[in-house]
Parts: sequence; C-alpha cells; structure tokens
Amino acid sequence: MSFFLLITRNVWSKKARSIGLTFAVAFAVLTVVTLGVTSSGLEQSAAAIISVGKADFTVVQKDVSDTLASTIDTQQLAGLRHTPGVTSAVGVLVEIEHINADNPVFIEIGISPGDFAGFGVRVVAGSAYAPTAAHEVMLGWRAAANLGLHVGSRFDANGTWNTVTGIYSTGNAFGDAGAMFPLPAIQGYNRVPGIVTLAFVKVAPGTSVAAVTRRVAFAQPVLTTIRTAAQFGRADRDLIYLQAAVTGSTVLAILIGAVIVGNIMLLSLFERTHEFGLMRAVGWTRRRMVALLLGESLLLALMGAALGVALSFAVAAGLAHLPALKGVLHPNFTEDVFWRALYTALGMTLIGALYPTIRAALLSPLKALSYE
Amino acid sequence: MSESIDRQLAIDVKGVTRVFPGRVTALAGLDLNVRYGEMVAITGPSGCGKSTLLNILAAIDSPTSGSVIVAGHDLAHIHDLSGYRRHEVGLVFQLHNLLPQLSTLSNVELPMFGCGWSAHQRRTRALELLAEVDLSGCEQRLPTELSGGERQRVAIARALANEPKILLADEPTGSLDSASTARFLDLLKRLESGGMTIVMVTHAPDVAANAQRVIEMRDGTVVNESVAK
Repeated sequence: MSFFLLITRNVWSKKARSIGLTFAVAFAVLTVVTLGVTSSGLEQSAAAIISVGKADFTVVQKDVSDTLASTIDTQQLAGLRHTPGVTSAVGVLVEIEHINADNPVFIEIGISPGDFAGFGVRVVAGSAYAPTAAHEVMLGWRAAANLGLHVGSRFDANGTWNTVTGIYSTGNAFGDAGAMFPLPAIQGYNRVPGIVTLAFVKVAPGTSVAAVTRRVAFAQPVLTTIRTAAQFGRADRDLIYLQAAVTGSTVLAILIGAVIVGNIMLLSLFERTHEFGLMRAVGWTRRRMVALLLGESLLLALMGAALGVALSFAVAAGLAHLPALKGVLHPNFTEDVFWRALYTALGMTLIGALYPTIRAALLSPLKALSYE
Repeated sequence: MSESIDRQLAIDVKGVTRVFPGRVTALAGLDLNVRYGEMVAITGPSGCGKSTLLNILAAIDSPTSGSVIVAGHDLAHIHDLSGYRRHEVGLVFQLHNLLPQLSTLSNVELPMFGCGWSAHQRRTRALELLAEVDLSGCEQRLPTELSGGERQRVAIARALANEPKILLADEPTGSLDSASTARFLDLLKRLESGGMTIVMVTHAPDVAANAQRVIEMRDGTVVNESVAK
C-alpha cells in the first residue's frame, strides 16, 4: 500500500468528516468563484463600451461613480481634438434602456453619421440615419436579430417610435447588440444638449499613445483616459466599490471556511486519538503524522475545490438568468478564477487543519492509546 | 553511560520508579534483566505496575527515575524514540488495536512506513509475515471480519514488521478463548525458538508457564522469580 493510498483509504473511511470538509471547502470556493466570475463579468460588461469604438484610448469625466454618468461638453471635446498627436476624437452619448424582459439592459449610442468611419461602424443593410433626424435609428445586427426587426421596422425607444433606417456592424458583440441614434436626437431625449458621455480618441501613426494621454491629462484635469478594461475598473467608482466588496467577501468566506474546516478536523482528531496513538506507538514520526493529516486535508481540499467550481458554473448561469441581471451579467470563467478556487481551497484548508494537525502530532502515544 | 551497558542483556532495568500525577507510585525501584532469546512472563495482581513496565520498555512512557537499557540503547539518551519503537521493539496489546478501516495486510504494513521501503517491498514483507502467523488468504479482510485469535495474530505480524529484537506483549491472551490462546502461545514459542526475546505480561498462570522465566511483581517491584520450564 502506498502512502497516497493510505491517505485515500482514510478519506474514504471517515465519510462524515470527508463529506463535511469537502462541502465546507466547496461552499467557500463557490462563494469566491461566483463572486469572482460575476464581478469580472459585470466589469467586462461595463468596460465593453470602451472597446466598441476602435480607438487608441477613451476619455471620460474624472471621478464619476458610473462611467455612463460622465459628461463631456462641446468645448472639452474640441480641446481633445486639438491636442497634439490626436487625429480624431469621436464624442458619443451612451445610455442604457430597458426595452423588454428579454432586453433589460439595451445599449443606445448617440453618434453623428459623419463619425461612423472613425468609430468602426459599417452599414450592412439599409442606410445611415440623417444627422439631425428625430425618429430614426440604426440597429446592430445582433439587436435586429434578437428583436426580430429589419430595415423599415418601427422600434420603440426613448418613449417614441423610431424607424429603422439601417443595420450596422462594429465587429464588437456588445456594440452590435445595441442601437445608434442621431446625436442631437438622443441628447434631446435626455435633455443634455451639447453633452457626450465618452470620447473615443485616435492618435497619429507613430505617435506615443502614452504621451498623448499625458497631454490630455495635463490640459484637461477634469477628464481621465482609459486604455484597458483594468483602467476602466479603476476609473469607475461603482466598479471600485464592487471590487472592494468582492475582496472583503472573499476574505470572509475563506476565514469562515477555515473555521469550519478547523472544527471538523478537531472533531476528527478526538475521534481518531486512539488511532494516532497507535501510529506513534508502532514508530510513526511526528513528521509522518503531519504528512498523513495534511495529505488527507489537501485531498479533501482538491475535491472541495472541484465541487465548488462545478457548483459555481450552475449558480453563475442561474444568476445570469435572473430578470435583474439578464443582459448585464455574463459570467466570465477565466483561468485566473480557477487558480483563485485552488488557492482558496488550499489556503482555508491549511489554515483550518494546521492546529488539529499539530495537536495530533504532539499527542503522547500512551495518553492517546488510553483515550476513550 | 555506554561503558555500563551489558551487551549480553536484551533488557537491563535498574532502580526504575514511575510516579504518576497524584503521587500514585506504579513502579518503585524495580530491577529486571532479560537475556537475548529469553521468553519472560511478568505476572502479578492488577495495579502492580506490569503494564507500566511494559510501556516504559516500549518507550511510550518514561520512568520518573532509574535506568532502562533495551537492546543496547539507554532510553534516557535516545533522541528519536520513534526510530527505537519502529526498529527495536514490537508491541502487542491486549485488544490487538488494529485500525478498522484498513485491511489485514495494510495493518501489518503500517509500521513499515518511513523505513525507506517501497510499497512493493512493504507488501511482500507483510504477506510473508501473514504466512508466518498462518493467516495467508486473509490479506484483504477487515479486522471486523476476523476472529479474536486471528486479530491477535495479525497484531503479532504487525509487531514483527520491522524485525525487532524484542517482542513486548501486554496481556495478549486476555481476550482469547482457550483454543485461540493455545494457538497464540504456539506462535510465541516458534518465535522464541527462532531467537526472539519476548516479554509478556499476563494474569494467567497457564500462559505464564510457557515462558522460560516467570517474574512476579507486587506494588511496583519484583517479589519473586521462578524458572517455569
């Protein structure tokens, strides 16, 4: 019998302990992984807007709680366009609207048809709307397919009927699942004339993007530049709070899990005192006892991690179908999430198992053998 | 210390006392010598210190004072008592103490972990030992599937796993019927004739009569010695 086989036999024979510990680890992993994939998914959904326009960087108002609450006025946009190294700065107004139960978070972008090329918009059916039209709209091809609409259809948005003049493609799933309106029309619907939410900036070929972003920051301190999803997460206060809540919940889940693991291991220690005494009496070293108990704990941690990840797939999928989260939450199962699950499982098990393991190793063989 | 070690003696106990908390004296200046290859029975009433003596010889308890030299090792000066327990002595308990979750074979393999043997070597050795105690064919059975006598023979096989010089048995026949006791004693005699040093604690005079020497204890000290055969 190999040492590993001895570990597996012990895990198998102590079923109550093994099941309890596996589920404790699994629930902690479930919590950590689900929080991770949902927050990452929410962050990705929120940050997806910056990848719609094929820009070198995006500009938003600094220190806003929600990036979509950003306001950039005409003067600031003009300032961006005149920044040395900038070739174009497309200003768009972005809003989210609840269309129906299947499309609770529908993205609507106000943009001038003249900026389509710079924004990476390609009209694939019909034609573009007129620059100042009041009741015209273009649908992304995904949105058109989802809503069952086509060129000439009528689309109810912003409290009014709009005629679909064309279908567009941006090559971005998020952008193609929304709609585009003439900029003045959407500014009018939202009563923010002359205001845009974001500016998508392209720099001249051969120019350092970093150098241009520094110039923007220097010239317009009330604005901030975003080049990556991670920078978006740091610019949007809601996401910062979300990340802080996820980190806090993760630490709490690990600590609670470690306490449960410790309790189960301690109960197991009392139950197995006689067994440990026998092992010491037949010549097992303390080090070997520690190896046995940590081996059992780690095996259970791995089982718990696997179970927790499997459960988190189901829970995250269920959450994504909740009416409140439909269309917003796209669970993001990355490699990083699985490593986090493993670290969580191993970390909480080691923390929880440490004291009972040391106690078991330090047992006096005689006292342990006479333990009833 | 090493100059005073008598290499002819398997066990050399001098002036050993063991006082438990609450000032309960289990051993009171006990002296005992056992030669290599000798089978010794220790008898006496309950509470006379027989099991305490055996526990001290097995290094799972320590004397309050006195000197204990076993197989040439002064126990007071051994840093790694685990190594001593693993290689120098084999221990058989009254209630076999087999691990219920492990098969007969795995129970016998248990003391061999940490001896540098491969899993195959451990298995081979355990199979040999089970054959030696007439339990071939019972390798995969759990302790609960064995009779009391069979369990005690598994316990002997486990005690012999690392080829110890000395076998210590604490009331090994205490829970056995007469047929199992006879079979168990036959096994001990076989081991004795093979040169094994055996120290057996027993209440039963007919069991003690199988030893070369019977040592009677009372109130923590030796009160009588007799040659049984």
